[in-house]
Amino acid sequence: MSLSPLAIVLLAVTLLLGVGFYGLLVARNLIKLIVVLQILAKAAMLAFVAAGYGQEHMGLAQSMVAMVIVADTVVAVIALALAVQVRRHYGTLDVRKLTTLRG
Amino acid sequence: MVELLLILVIAAVACAIQAIRAERLLNSALWLAGASAFIAMIFYSMGAREVAIIELSVGAGLVTVLFVFAISVAGDESIEGRPAVPRALAVMLAGLCVIGLIWLLRDLTAPTPTAASASALTNALWHERALDVLAQVALIFTGVIGLLGLLAEPRSAHAAETHTTPVEGSQQKIAARATTESPLELQKEAARP
Amino acid sequence: MAAPFITLTIGLPWLGALAVWIAGDQHPKAQHALAVLFAVAGGLSGLALLTTTGAEVAIRLPVGGAFGDFTFVADGLGVFLAVIATVIGSLAVIFSVEYMKGEAQLGRYYAFVLLFIGAMAGLALTGSLLLLFFFWEVTALTSYALISFHNDDPKAVAGGIKALLMTQLGGVGLLAGALLIYAHLGSYDISAFLAGADALPPDLRALIAFGFLAAAAAKSAQAPFHTWLPDAMEAPTPVSALIHAATMVNAGVYLLARFFPAFESVPGWSTAVVIIGMVTALLAAVMALVADDLKRVLAYSTVSQLGYMVFAIGCGSVLAGQFHLFSHAVFKALLFLGAGAVIHAIGTRDMHQMGGLGKHMPLVRGVFVIGAGALAGIPILNGFWSKELILETGLAHGPLWGYIGMLIGAGLTALYTARMVWLVFYGEPRSHHHAHDARPAMAIPLVLLAVGTLTTWLLFGPFGALLAEAVPGLHEESTLDFVTKVVSDPATLLALGVVAIGLLAWQQRSRLSPIAAGLRALEQAAKQGFGFEAINRFVARMTRSAATVLQRTQTGELNWNAAGIAGALLIVLIILAGGGTR
Repeated sequence: MSLSPLAIVLLAVTLLLGVGFYGLLVARNLIKLIVVLQILAKAAMLAFVAAGYGQEHMGLAQSMVAMVIVADTVVAVIALALAVQVRRHYGTLDVRKLTTLRG
Repeated sequence: MVELLLILVIAAVACAIQAIRAERLLNSALWLAGASAFIAMIFYSMGAREVAIIELSVGAGLVTVLFVFAISVAGDESIEGRPAVPRALAVMLAGLCVIGLIWLLRDLTAPTPTAASASALTNALWHERALDVLAQVALIFTGVIGLLGLLAEPRSAHAAETHTTPVEGSQQKIAARATTESPLELQKEAARP
Repeated sequence: MAAPFITLTIGLPWLGALAVWIAGDQHPKAQHALAVLFAVAGGLSGLALLTTTGAEVAIRLPVGGAFGDFTFVADGLGVFLAVIATVIGSLAVIFSVEYMKGEAQLGRYYAFVLLFIGAMAGLALTGSLLLLFFFWEVTALTSYALISFHNDDPKAVAGGIKALLMTQLGGVGLLAGALLIYAHLGSYDISAFLAGADALPPDLRALIAFGFLAAAAAKSAQAPFHTWLPDAMEAPTPVSALIHAATMVNAGVYLLARFFPAFESVPGWSTAVVIIGMVTALLAAVMALVADDLKRVLAYSTVSQLGYMVFAIGCGSVLAGQFHLFSHAVFKALLFLGAGAVIHAIGTRDMHQMGGLGKHMPLVRGVFVIGAGALAGIPILNGFWSKELILETGLAHGPLWGYIGMLIGAGLTALYTARMVWLVFYGEPRSHHHAHDARPAMAIPLVLLAVGTLTTWLLFGPFGALLAEAVPGLHEESTLDFVTKVVSDPATLLALGVVAIGLLAWQQRSRLSPIAAGLRALEQAAKQGFGFEAINRFVARMTRSAATVLQRTQTGELNWNAAGIAGALLIVLIILAGGGTR
């Protein structure tokens, strides 16, 4: 496998996704989970840029990434607001204690 | 180009790992900002100049500020004990996903340009994806409403401070705290057989 | 041309649902007024649709991608059902003004009723299988919500869940059929399917045909899915009249009629439809004979009459089925609303506590007897003509045993109808009630429907012409020809004789009591629902125990949920890696 720029970036995408998945499985703090979601979203952005680079259609890729950035920021804002309210209401951010959805 | 990219990618992934490993939430948020900055540099070196700048200002700047603010409001909480999912299983699942993705992407390592001409961001944004821009505007409004939620004070404590005498207010605060802390415990009690 | 009216017919009730909800439960008067306004407006625009029918696509919404175009077609078959839904819907809403006066949470009630009316119109008017399924499920959902409207009553909640589960079970057949059609024709368009059905592989066509049949049987409460309809009688009575007598249960018959041309040649399909129709008609008639709850009797009779319609379609006459659907929608809505007036006045549904009510409620008795006469098949009422048409179709095109079965069913219908009318309105009062006659908001729909019951058969000619453009191979004839044909047919006399025997059997019931005693075992079996209830209970128990097992997977822990997502992703990756080498 030759180390073209595309290959390196795609590798970065998969590694970031892997790190993100690992974080989703082990993070217990609600705010830490939001950090992990940010990492996953960044992997997605990087994938768009890689696709734009590979297809030489960077304008379209950039518009997609801009969309992802906006969406991702809004997700962070709302998730953080929820986390703050959860902390106020339940007194903890530990997801192992927030198990009121248990069936 | 390749060497620079390699360094940036390694740095970004290392920052991401540190963001997850960090004990304190504040450190975690700062490591995330670092990862964001390196990813913005990758964008720049790949030719995505405009979004690199957006990512640097929004991803590394604004979001970090939000995180720091939220952490200062919610407080850093040290959580003891092991995660619900065993670490070994988590590593295995994540690793298998990475291997599977690499396996799927193995043929995509060389650039495969299509007939589509290179287009500028502004062109794409205003002509090809005009609908997305509208959606973004709607999203930003949602974000504003979310920000209000983040900034909102608990109503009972606020009312107590403004409308009652100090003594009553403090009593109400104590009562309010008692009620805010109890629901989870009560539900846990109810859930136990 | 039809496009604005289609939009209005579906959109007005939905807009009304929103308006009633916004008006809020603090303003019940405004809610009543808004609901009536939007329902009547929807009914008027439905009637306006009658002038603009046509088989071509009236509205085409390109949604791209895998969904194809969302189309709406205002052809005769669909417009007819839409008119039934919106007009009887508006009458039921007017009736509700009096019936639901003072109830809590009116907003929820009216919003769901209006949502249902709009969805039913959409179901009838859409030309896309995907939208058909969507509206189909919306009607099921609103039906569930309305059956369980009194959600502090465990019986109402159980009845609602039962109805939801059974219609969903059938809905799977519809969805599977639609997806199979899409997989082979690359289109969700109904007309494209009807045109290209013969080109499909026979096995596949049979699968689709029986999938649709299961969906129709579940929706129209045909055997073996008929048990949900009687339990659905916990709903407020206008809802029973609208959803469980006049409209939603007709959706199954509509589905069969709509797709009949495509499935006609599937071997065994027509026979299966005939058997389902006949068995349902007979079983439900026997159960109606022994039920004590007024609304349950009406529910069983609805199931039985739906069996007649299904039977007619199985015999190859969409016209006969749809014409009986038309008559039935009118007279059964009348009967249900009449029953609602009785129940509203005395507060019980048990027929053994009624009796002698005719003296206090002359208007209700008058219209109820008209409706009951139509149900029993007494001449010149609309039920007589349509039932005769079905019986003659059965004699001419169906198997002989089917015709004999339906004839017995007609006799049973007359018998249980006579029993019901006698127990409610005649004889000596069996308990003390201060019954009052219907007030205007109730009386208007009752009188309108009674007039309809007396006259709708005159519309046979235009009705045939309306359907002729939508159903290939349908020969229309004028009302006069139809009447002459029915009157001069010896089979009519035979059917009338059977009906007369049924009525006579009730009149002579004291002399027949030895026979009745001999049939005690049958009565017991009928009260137990002929064992179908036991099967239902078994299935319900299995579902619940499976749910208990699966409950353990819901730990409520975010990390485990994420692990589930990662595991699913892994499976997708493996599938992609395996299939990607193709």
